[in-house]
Amino acid sequence: MKNKKGLLILAVIAIIVVIVSVFILLPRLKPPAFHGMLLQGTSPVFDFDLTSDTDESVKLSDFRGKPVLLYFGYTFCPDVCPTTMAELGRMMRELGDDADDVQVIMISIDPERDTPERLGEYVRYFHPSFIGLTGTEDEIAQAATPLGIFYAKQEVEGASGYLMDHTATVLLVDKDGLARLIWPYGTSAEDMAADVRYFLP
Amino acid sequence: MSEDAERTSVRQKIISWQGLVIGVIILLLIGVTAFVIFQPIKVLQRMYLAPGYALTDQNGDRLTNEDMRGHFVMYNFTYSGCREPECQQLDLVMKELQDRLDEAETADTPVSFVTISFDPEHDTPDVLRAYAEELGADTSQWSFVTGDPTRLKYIIGSGFSVYYDQKEDGSWQFSPTMVLVDGWGIVRAIYNARQRPINVDNMIEHLTGLQEEVAASDGVGKLGYEAAHLFLCYY
Repeated sequence: MKNKKGLLILAVIAIIVVIVSVFILLPRLKPPAFHGMLLQGTSPVFDFDLTSDTDESVKLSDFRGKPVLLYFGYTFCPDVCPTTMAELGRMMRELGDDADDVQVIMISIDPERDTPERLGEYVRYFHPSFIGLTGTEDEIAQAATPLGIFYAKQEVEGASGYLMDHTATVLLVDKDGLARLIWPYGTSAEDMAADVRYFLP
Repeated sequence: MSEDAERTSVRQKIISWQGLVIGVIILLLIGVTAFVIFQPIKVLQRMYLAPGYALTDQNGDRLTNEDMRGHFVMYNFTYSGCREPECQQLDLVMKELQDRLDEAETADTPVSFVTISFDPEHDTPDVLRAYAEELGADTSQWSFVTGDPTRLKYIIGSGFSVYYDQKEDGSWQFSPTMVLVDGWGIVRAIYNARQRPINVDNMIEHLTGLQEEVAASDGVGKLGYEAAHLFLCYY
């Protein structure tokens, strides 16, 4: 009788172990589910050479070893850019200490109006570690085009003169310089943070 | 029952539980191996980002890659000044694919065609419109575009990785290539006529496969497709 009780307890324990291990194993066996769209290319992103908001020359390859999040926007942008930059700022806070291993870069698509100083002030309003980059029209086009980024001037009435139509995705370049994820406009800070964690060094 | 027999029975139960756990793990491994070997789901690799662009079409209107978001797009690269069969080969393939598009089960995802000319000096909107008519292209879903020569280099050369160059006599040499881009703006297939004969049946199969992947983008089906990407189950 005593042994039967023991056997029952053993069986219950065994069932619990099986259920728990299946739950632990399953997420490991299934492919990682990202919130962004995964890219599987094997050639590194074009190594652009642009000017930072502190007037230094900055190359994409300077950041090898940590994931880089690239966003193309402009400081006069009325809604889409500040919303995205604010989410990226929240994402960094969500990452906690891991944020030290992540670099967010905003590349200006409006070099005519975005001076390095203005750009620096703008990006660091969202997070102190953010970097703003600019360059000549040609340098920016060379960096943006292969990353699927379109932008064009759109004349509007009013003091600002024009707006920029532009692609509003955020792109993750991994520690080896490969483009790995794109997030559409509107992806939340939490979702981006969850994806970024997978690419931490 | 003697104490020894009971102990043996307990031991057997433990062994059978261990067996069950090991069995489940082995079954999972067999499942994964079978998936990799038999590839029940095939996918097109998510190769790299298609370039961003803003070009001018045959009507003089702006066409951008953002207009193509959510579409499957087949691109080719050409110039209308050459009527040699070799130059026109892929324009005719585009036309055949457009004519046979109902064979591809693409459901609600629109399919578009974009022919990019790398000869903006000659291929003005009027010339491109006449060329589209000559080909019999349905321009409601097929655009003929061109733009600034430097930007074209970034778009076609560094963006799509397609070679082209102007020869001294003014004509062009280029790699006869078609590129299939998905609704996310990701290059999913490259068809190079020099490397492998172009087969429209394959393109139809690929378009159908892309649609199946889009249809399975939610729920359990997505896992199968993500697994197919993870285990490189490519067409």
